[in-house]
Amino acid sequence: MVPDHDAPVVSLYTFFQVGSRNERPGITGISHLFEHMMFNGAAKYGPKEFDEVLESNGGRSNAYTTQDATVYYEDFAAEALDTVLDLESDRMRSLTIDDRSLRSEREVVKEERRLRVDNEPAGLMDEALHALVYEAHPYRWPVIGWMGDIEAIRREDCEAYFRTFYAPNNATLWVAGDFEPDALLKRIRKAYGNIPQGPPVPAVINSEPPQRGERRAQLHHPSRAPSLLVAYRGPPVAHPDTLTLDVLQFILGVGEGSRLQRALVYGKRLAVNVGVDWSWRRDPGVFAFHLELQPDADVQGAETALYAELTRIAEQGVEPREVEKARNNLRAHLIRELTSNSGRAHALGTYELFLGRWEEGLSLAEAYGRIDAAKVQAAARRWLDPTQRSVVTLVPEDAQT
Amino acid sequence: MTAAKQHTVRAVAVGRGLRLHRFQTPGGLPVTVARRGRIPLVAVRLVLASGSAGDPGAKEGLADFTMRLLRRGTAQRDAHSIDEAIEFVGASLGLFAGEDQVAVALTTPAEHLPAMLGVLSELSRSPVFPEEEVSTERERTLGQFANDVDDPSLLADRALLRTAWAGHPYGHDVSGTRASVASFTRQDPAGFHAAYFGPRPAHLFVVGAVDPDAVATQVEEAFGPWAGGPERGVEISPAKGMARAGTVVVVDRPEQTQSQVRLAGPAYRRGAPVQFAAQIVNVTLGGGFTSRLVREVRVKRGLSYGVGSSFDALRAGGLFSVSSFTKVETTGQLLSVMRQEVDRMRERGPTQAEVEKAQRYLAGLFPLRTETNESLAAVLADMALYGLGDDWLDRYRDRVYAVTRAEAREVAGRYCFPEAPLTVVVGPAERLRPQLERFGPVEVLSADDVL
Repeated sequence: MVPDHDAPVVSLYTFFQVGSRNERPGITGISHLFEHMMFNGAAKYGPKEFDEVLESNGGRSNAYTTQDATVYYEDFAAEALDTVLDLESDRMRSLTIDDRSLRSEREVVKEERRLRVDNEPAGLMDEALHALVYEAHPYRWPVIGWMGDIEAIRREDCEAYFRTFYAPNNATLWVAGDFEPDALLKRIRKAYGNIPQGPPVPAVINSEPPQRGERRAQLHHPSRAPSLLVAYRGPPVAHPDTLTLDVLQFILGVGEGSRLQRALVYGKRLAVNVGVDWSWRRDPGVFAFHLELQPDADVQGAETALYAELTRIAEQGVEPREVEKARNNLRAHLIRELTSNSGRAHALGTYELFLGRWEEGLSLAEAYGRIDAAKVQAAARRWLDPTQRSVVTLVPEDAQT
Repeated sequence: MTAAKQHTVRAVAVGRGLRLHRFQTPGGLPVTVARRGRIPLVAVRLVLASGSAGDPGAKEGLADFTMRLLRRGTAQRDAHSIDEAIEFVGASLGLFAGEDQVAVALTTPAEHLPAMLGVLSELSRSPVFPEEEVSTERERTLGQFANDVDDPSLLADRALLRTAWAGHPYGHDVSGTRASVASFTRQDPAGFHAAYFGPRPAHLFVVGAVDPDAVATQVEEAFGPWAGGPERGVEISPAKGMARAGTVVVVDRPEQTQSQVRLAGPAYRRGAPVQFAAQIVNVTLGGGFTSRLVREVRVKRGLSYGVGSSFDALRAGGLFSVSSFTKVETTGQLLSVMRQEVDRMRERGPTQAEVEKAQRYLAGLFPLRTETNESLAAVLADMALYGLGDDWLDRYRDRVYAVTRAEAREVAGRYCFPEAPLTVVVGPAERLRPQLERFGPVEVLSADDVL
């Protein structure tokens, strides 16, 4: 609970520790499809009443699903707090899953997939990349699931999923805004106190075999410009190098003055945009580079230019000033997350999910302060290893052929 | 309240515990400071009252292009040292062009505010638009257009804008077209800067845990002698209806499995009193997750993942639009449902219960619109630019609650397509044509036509 009386509003987040990593082939995408089902009615509030009641009381809701978590959130007028607790605890206690809503949500999710993946080259490339990087781990499949699996998921799958993963022992609640903590705690106990504990959540087995060399895939698509996605296997969030890789990510790709922006966008003019993605994951994640190229760019040349920059860091290291700059930006980034109720509740939930204790998140700025140029170079050497690389290339193809 | 130097800082209470502190630099730059909160990040926003509507003919995209080049070199520093000055301290800079305005938004750790005001002043007063940087930015923008071809939603928005506003200064995307951008030389942004920049049509906003008197001194140091600029922003003639109403424009993307769909008709200009009733209509028809459109399109029929409506109000006019997407096979069905719901709203308006629900929704969530320093700075800037009045924030909720059902119904009758709307669809033209002909004469464009 993070009280703040600046404005008469509250944000509430519910984190469930379940995502696509808890799925299996045949029901990929169930975490995400299930997220949609959570708005389809429970014992007290019937189908679609959740948002109806919430919006009528001056609130709004949404949710998102990742590989590691499913997160529901509401922003609302402070006087609606009791109503929101009633709505949220109702669906955790007694969600109803009927065939009619499942049929309808399945179609909605298929449209979402068509939007984000099938008609979006970056989505297609990302999907191809994960299937390349992971052979055995569930990070192999997309969070939204394969189209055939979305089609095949049954009501019984959803019911079993709810029983296993949506119990209070697999969830955390984060509230930020205009309330009194003592009174709120009493209300939370009253709303959630009688929801029984669920069974222990099955562990996710990571049987990913070692990678024994670079992997490549090509994606032919009727687009006008080529594009390149390059990823290296990274560590899980609990690994000591995680924060060093945050610093490396900022040095390489965050800001107009970052190394790759300067070299590839402004210097060689090969890329239109460069993005460096390093997202914390509970299991080993990926450190990825996405290059949107000029239509006539030499793709191989762009790839070579990218590797030259990465080799330069591994061999010559970085300047202490670059590390200090990355730290200043990471610190500003941490503060920026804490400038709204929604941001505060979300940040704390995320810290707890990935770092084990939310308090760890509040000392991140100091932890970044302990990272120096030598550590950054060592991490670049260790993790940007060409044998641990996967490369996806988007090859423009004429639409008519 | 008086300040350290010769300027006078005037404080105005604008409700909800917020006070605005105002003064002018000796050169004539109006400044508004809002002190609030404890977070050590300060939002700074410099707004000028001329945007893409001022792009000269054949130079579409010039305002946007000029803004992106501001940080690529000044009389004092090259692009890299500008980037370093901002990014080293953990500040961030955004450069924006809209139809009616251009804006520089800076967020900085509080202790670096004086230095960042200095950078902001430098970018605004003395950009030099180096040849090399102009050509890099031109190539990059053209490259971005090539990448944009793959974004059906963006193509739909671009096609809508240029068709709905055809013949009007709002009738092009702020980023311009391939032909116009390809023609840019350094004289173009330099000319835009010379014509439209200066303190007269500008306004600076500083929001955060700051001392207004100290900020006054810092701003004066940074901007003091900056003078001149046009008296007001570029004049834009009022919009005269929609030239292509009733037409169905298809942007052909043969390989797509999903169509993007837009409907649009004329609406009101920014600040019109009718806006509050219009928001009630919009929330009921296509705002939030429980609107009529969401219920009919997504919940009942599973036709789409998203559907929504919006009023976009600018200085010289506005649009009412509805957007969604669906698989190619159900495009005609989606359009029918969208049209039917808009028609029903136009004919009968929202119910009393719907009016009250929309009022609670808008009023309850209103504080979130100014929750961060950046968002408050942006709202304060719009209040000034569009003359919304100092009591805008304070009275918003009362004005929303004052809307009657009769007013909402009248507004629905006026803007929910009393004339046939313009329809834009992005998808495979050949497969779409038979589904679309019943909505009006079909005109097929290529992606190149809208880029």
